[in-house]
Amino acid sequence: MQLQDKRRIAMLSAYALALHGFESLIPMPIPWIRVGLANIITVAAFILFGFRAAMMVTLVRVFIASLFTGSFLGPGFILSLGGGVSGILAMGAVLYILPGLFGPVGLSLIGALFHNLAQLFLAYLLFIQKIEPVLIITPVLILIGTVTGLLSGLVAELLVKGLKKSEVTIQNTPQ
Amino acid sequence: MNLKETVNGTTLGDRLLFILLLLVSFTGIIFIKDVLPQSRDVTIEAEGKLTHRYPLDTDRRVEVGSPRGRFTVEIKDRKVRVTEASCPNKLCELQGWISRGVIICLPAGITVTVGGTEEQKDRKVDAITG
Repeated sequence: MQLQDKRRIAMLSAYALALHGFESLIPMPIPWIRVGLANIITVAAFILFGFRAAMMVTLVRVFIASLFTGSFLGPGFILSLGGGVSGILAMGAVLYILPGLFGPVGLSLIGALFHNLAQLFLAYLLFIQKIEPVLIITPVLILIGTVTGLLSGLVAELLVKGLKKSEVTIQNTPQ
Repeated sequence: MNLKETVNGTTLGDRLLFILLLLVSFTGIIFIKDVLPQSRDVTIEAEGKLTHRYPLDTDRRVEVGSPRGRFTVEIKDRKVRVTEASCPNKLCELQGWISRGVIICLPAGITVTVGGTEEQKDRKVDAITG
């Protein structure tokens, strides 16, 4: 891994962590529903720097955020880790199998969907162990994930375009 | 760079996926309750002792009795009723089809309860007087 990559991953992880922290300040009617703002950074990292960078950023965010909030190795941490990793794997698979079909918005939606499905599966496996409540909540979570996934996907698209534009400007600036 | 430009920048795949997910989730929200099998049981107790337990989903007729009387319990279309009661005023028969709650036949000392398995576990006595 190049030094440049490390710096990028560190920067992106810091942004993701900041958004993650900011998100916990937003009041939510149901405690375990999140907007998924950090998803913006994941999607942007994926499109700009590829699968490995996105995975690293997510892992760093999940681990450090859980250390900050004291939930390391707790139930929330396990769900967060499982959801995050599955989301990236799904995005990677989609981009590998069908390159060019989806932009940032599509990737974000895929990520959100698999994030939710993985969390539901883990929650069922580890904590709830009854299939009915999980099945009842699944479509609701998919709906919320689709709406928040769309929003964070649009922001990611704006971010990616902005970053690409500014890179061009920097490169074109005479030294 | 504005919102409209960004929305126009999404691919066809993005839009189709979004619509598909919305459709799937709305359909799921509307129909999932009908699809789920509800694990409700019919339990029959004679003089305080559990004698029969049947799932509400299967139609059947059962003869139940205690030393003080007897009747037939009929389960059909996720509903339960009591017929052919041996008691004089047949209050249990008059209650008709029930899908939840209890039919009590006092003369025979038999109760027919419809409820989920969970409800049965949580059932406790509030208070005892006398």
